[in-house]
Amino acid sequence: MIEVDVAIIGGGPAGLASAMKACEEGVKDILIIERGMELGGILLQCIHDGFGTFIFEETLTGPEYAQRYIDEVKKTGINVKLNTMVLEIDSAKRIIAVNQEDGLLEIEAKAIILSMGCRERTRAQILIPGDRPSGIYTAGVAQRYINIEGVIPGKKVVILGSGDIGMIMARRFTLEGAKVEGVYEVMSNPGGLTRNVVQCVEDYEIPLHLSHTITNIRGRRRVEGVTVAKVDSEMRPIKDTERFVPCDTVILSVGLIPENELSKSADVGMDPITNGPIVDEQMQTSVPGIFACGNVVHVHDLVDDVSKVAEVAGRGAAEYIDGKLKKRRSPIKVKAGRNVKYVVPQIIHGEKFDEDIRFYLRVKEIEKSVKTVVLADGERIFEKKIKIVKPPEMVKLDISPDILNRITGDELIIDVEGEEDEEKS
Amino acid sequence: MGGRDQKIAKKLEKKIVKKGFPDVKISAEEGIVRLNGRVNLWSEVITIGYLAAKTKGVKGVINDVTAGEIERKGEEKKVTKRDVYDNVSLPKRADVVIVGGGVIGCFIAREISRYKLDVVLLEKESDVACGATKANSGMVHSGIGESSGTLKQKLNVKGNKMYDKVCEELNVPFERDGLLIVITTETLPPKVRKVLPPFISNFICEKIIPYVVFRKGKKAGIPLRPVKREELLEMEPNITDKAIVGVYSPTYGVVYPYEITIALAENAIQNGVKIALNTEVEDILVEDGKVKGVLTDRGTIESEYVINAAGIFADEVAEMAGAREFSIHPRKGSIIIFDKEMKGYINHSLSELILPQDPHTKGGGIFTTISGNPNWGPDAIEVSDKYDKSVTAEEIDTIFECGSLLPDFQKSSLITYFAGLRAATYEEDFFIKASENVLGFVNVAGIQSPGLAASPAIAEMVRGILREIGLKMGEKEEFNPIRRAIPKFSKLGIEEKKKLIKENPLYGNVICRCEHVTEGEVVDAIHRPLPATTVDAVKRRVRTGMGRCQGGFCGPKVARILARELNIPLEEVTKDGPGSNLFVGKTKSLLAEEA
Amino acid sequence: MKRSHNFTCIVCPMSCQIELIEEDDKILEVRGNGCKRGEEYVTEEFTNPVRMLTTTIPVQEGRIAMLPVRSERPVPKNLLRRCMKELSKVRVKAPVRCGDIIYENILDTGVSIISSRDLSIGNYSEFR
Ligand SMILES: Cc1cc2nc3c(=O)[nH]c(=O)nc-3n(C[C@H](O)[C@H](O)[C@H](O)COP(=O)(O)OP(=O)(O)OC[C@H]3O[C@@H](n4cnc5c(N)ncnc54)[C@H](O)[C@@H]3O)c2cc1C
Ligand SMILES: Cc1cc2nc3c(=O)[nH]c(=O)nc-3n(C[C@H](O)[C@H](O)[C@H](O)COP(=O)(O)OP(=O)(O)OC[C@H]3O[C@@H](n4cnc5c(N)ncnc54)[C@H](O)[C@@H]3O)c2cc1C
Repeated sequence: MIEVDVAIIGGGPAGLASAMKACEEGVKDILIIERGMELGGILLQCIHDGFGTFIFEETLTGPEYAQRYIDEVKKTGINVKLNTMVLEIDSAKRIIAVNQEDGLLEIEAKAIILSMGCRERTRAQILIPGDRPSGIYTAGVAQRYINIEGVIPGKKVVILGSGDIGMIMARRFTLEGAKVEGVYEVMSNPGGLTRNVVQCVEDYEIPLHLSHTITNIRGRRRVEGVTVAKVDSEMRPIKDTERFVPCDTVILSVGLIPENELSKSADVGMDPITNGPIVDEQMQTSVPGIFACGNVVHVHDLVDDVSKVAEVAGRGAAEYIDGKLKKRRSPIKVKAGRNVKYVVPQIIHGEKFDEDIRFYLRVKEIEKSVKTVVLADGERIFEKKIKIVKPPEMVKLDISPDILNRITGDELIIDVEGEEDEEKS
Repeated sequence: MGGRDQKIAKKLEKKIVKKGFPDVKISAEEGIVRLNGRVNLWSEVITIGYLAAKTKGVKGVINDVTAGEIERKGEEKKVTKRDVYDNVSLPKRADVVIVGGGVIGCFIAREISRYKLDVVLLEKESDVACGATKANSGMVHSGIGESSGTLKQKLNVKGNKMYDKVCEELNVPFERDGLLIVITTETLPPKVRKVLPPFISNFICEKIIPYVVFRKGKKAGIPLRPVKREELLEMEPNITDKAIVGVYSPTYGVVYPYEITIALAENAIQNGVKIALNTEVEDILVEDGKVKGVLTDRGTIESEYVINAAGIFADEVAEMAGAREFSIHPRKGSIIIFDKEMKGYINHSLSELILPQDPHTKGGGIFTTISGNPNWGPDAIEVSDKYDKSVTAEEIDTIFECGSLLPDFQKSSLITYFAGLRAATYEEDFFIKASENVLGFVNVAGIQSPGLAASPAIAEMVRGILREIGLKMGEKEEFNPIRRAIPKFSKLGIEEKKKLIKENPLYGNVICRCEHVTEGEVVDAIHRPLPATTVDAVKRRVRTGMGRCQGGFCGPKVARILARELNIPLEEVTKDGPGSNLFVGKTKSLLAEEA
Repeated sequence: MKRSHNFTCIVCPMSCQIELIEEDDKILEVRGNGCKRGEEYVTEEFTNPVRMLTTTIPVQEGRIAMLPVRSERPVPKNLLRRCMKELSKVRVKAPVRCGDIIYENILDTGVSIISSRDLSIGNYSEFR
């Protein structure tokens, strides 16, 4: 049995930043457990630029961003176990992990930070019918093959899903000499940032077909083509718009799911909308001493946000083992209101707040000229105008202690109000 | 055509013309009917085939009628083969050649490896269990779903009883979970329900139907037990309110169909059988009415005994020998698999009884695989293409309806779906016979469901046939029925895990996040007596890629381990054999091509 | 001749659709932009569009098979594909440090291609 103060599961940007923060706060015995051969998580394969614009105020590639944290961690006494898979955590904060050198490891931690990231949704989860040949990949897997393994999956590519990863892979395939026949998106708006629409798709004259989906995949050994169709307003394919597109590869970029099998094994309470743990303002889960941050909590679009929130978790863990963590009095539930899909944190505590709390919210639909409103006991305690909100771009609200301390009752509702709503009210 | 044959042909012609197909040509020989011609729809071809099979005096139907509406070409693209897949050198001669490495071919191979014989099994794919055997529900049926008096039922009942022993010998998991046949308010056809007063239809459902089922079982020697509603709810708390009563069949079991097949193949190899993968039989050599050998795409093998266990291609292989007395019309079945986190939601396999029963399929059900993943289905669809294993959107909807027994089941936990083709004949029964025209040729055909359940009994029956037609079978003293399995890391206790890693550190490298498979298991699978040389072959042996992420995490690792262990470049790794490469080249290779 | 060009602005989430009208490469008018930054963006996109190039280079004797690299500064957009071709022949040998110059002055742009991570010696095909 190994005993540590803080065990961090996952050495991606979330794990790294939380480890650094816990270290800064004076925690002595920190262990990062990473199943990959290197630290850095998913960033290692995201070779494109666009990372770090907030934290470092320059645009870095994924590996560069990771490198900065890895270099910092190396300077500290933080322990790292690579090539080590965590198999199980129980609610007593005992971790079972395994690797080749040590064999089976039993680790007891005073506090645990969950930072396992997320995994990709697969073809079956979106029910694409047809054959099951070789040549169907999720975007992240294809990215790994091209950028890390050094092999290219196909020459004639159809991409389903216009999220950032899908579009980035459209550009990547094109630059490597493959032909991207088109990016198909079931929604009527692109799923990713406008910057990626312009620089990954339009720059290379790749057709972007909105309100379209793949209705069939064909191929015996290897993909031979797909049938695509327009969809109606309820996203059902319209039969007579079906068209066959020959290709040898299908790339699916159809969403990410936080990876929480371990959280569940530790009896951590889950949010069915985010698919991640329910956390409070210090990123503590429902199990005292277990914290969570990064994509394991909800899917972030910017790594800068991941690093920032990971620091909150790192500090929380440090305070927890010092017994200094704010007393958990009167929990206040934070609820998603109008045009809000979810809000994180889902719970906040305390009788007296002494610092800002940042709320992350994802909207359901695009809306222009809106106001985000925080309601406590029916009272509007906070309002902020925003020019536009879009589902691919997370909205951040920093709320100051003097506002937070005005909260009465045990519930907050966060709304995104449109112009008309205001007129009505 | 003899006089009786002429009569049969006449009678059948009348029926077929009456149905509106005047252009179909009919001939008959020794009770075997041959049909030729062309119609519009594939469903019409099927109708004609069944008309023939149901005609009195007909022993077999060879239906070569074609349809205008063939959706796809049923030909395989030829691809160049590579040495890595040629796992054995092909012998020049053998005492027995088995065509087809499904559960049937492999079971027969293992069965006759008890004797002093040179046996060769030929399989055209890059692994065994690539046909119907990999794409089924894995149910070891009790036999209650089959029509009384059929060969299918007889062999199913017998095969079921043989399962415990063989699975123990081969070290493969087998569980008898039992099946609950559920009688619901929808069991009686709507028409009947409409005219009968509720208390009568209730009485029929509660008392008469369970009794009829029970009697049928008794006659066939299948243990059954009627289950009252209260007990039913206790056994399956999540079942629908429309359930009335049930009949419990305790002998129902479940296996991994590919795992047992691979185990059979390995045990056969251990006992001297040669299994040649990637070897397609292209012709059967026959002289003076006797089998002389087989011609394959990798050479000829002389042999006086050939067993045709070619699944949906059995009619084509029989034709090669001139011993075709049946037609196979592929009947597709699709199955949906759910996450094992739904394990425990059901305790037994469930099947809703819907009357009248479809004579051609037992109908889908709700089963649980050995690993605890619920699986729903299969449905049943006639297809014209022997390569059509696509799952359509309509099928997914149909299968979801099977789930009406469990109204609150979380369907979003679906992780994958797939389809298999049943090798149906028009007679709808197994066709297991030595050919009368071609000495030494044995057809083991029409092995649709419950072929897996019946397979031990089928192998035994084939052994008997071989002896009957003159094969000398001296027992081999050194026959060893025991096969050692690949250790399953995830199933071991803590101390066992520690010990295993100490012996071989590769068992400490977990490469599959969903099923916790280790590198040690993958390397083992690649170096077994029957080597796994493809991503899918590894998957069938150790479950990499079968979990909720469907290979997203382990895929790159498995591909790399395969390349390393087989000593091939990564870009030559395939999903399931030649033509299914995962990659088109190294990164940068397309840019070089352009230049 | 007067010509019109359409742009989607990427400066902020508003994604304004901006039209630029020019005659013989002389910008006459910019319409549809919500702010000044939009005008600057399309002017730059019209006169001298540049992009960061990020790609990979095969590594010999490295811990992993590919080294991620990027252009030090953005390069002209219309040269991206030619840069890729130029780089497709390049191979590097481990070890490499983040920031090392991998290819100097690509296509005479004055821009070098630099490594975007540390990469130590190893045998990737042995790695599991
Ligand atoms: C393809 C792609 C493109 C992106 N592009 C951008 C961009 O342009 N700009 C930007 O700002 N952001 C981008 N992001 C988002 C950003 O990269 C992520 O938000 C961030 O990496 C998430 O960090 P994380 O630490 O939560 O997860 P990850 O980076 O996924 O790290 C999780 C780590 O946990 C480890 N782990 C998981 N389970 C276990 C276990 N059981 N045992 C041991 N270790 C385990 C994993 O191996 C992994 O290393 C992109 C993301 C992706 C996927
Ligand atoms: C959807 C579905 C669900 C089912 N569920 C069940 C169930 O729950 N329980 C049950 O008992 N049964 C079930 N069955 C039936 C069962 O799968 C089959 O009866 C059984 O797998 C048949 O095995 P086989 O060896 O005859 O055929 P196959 O597995 O199809 O094997 C035939 C082999 O022959 C090879 N071959 C063909 N031609 C040649 C050639 N020319 N040269 C070399 N090789 C050749 C093929 O490649 C193939 O591997 C199901 C079937 C389906 C389709």
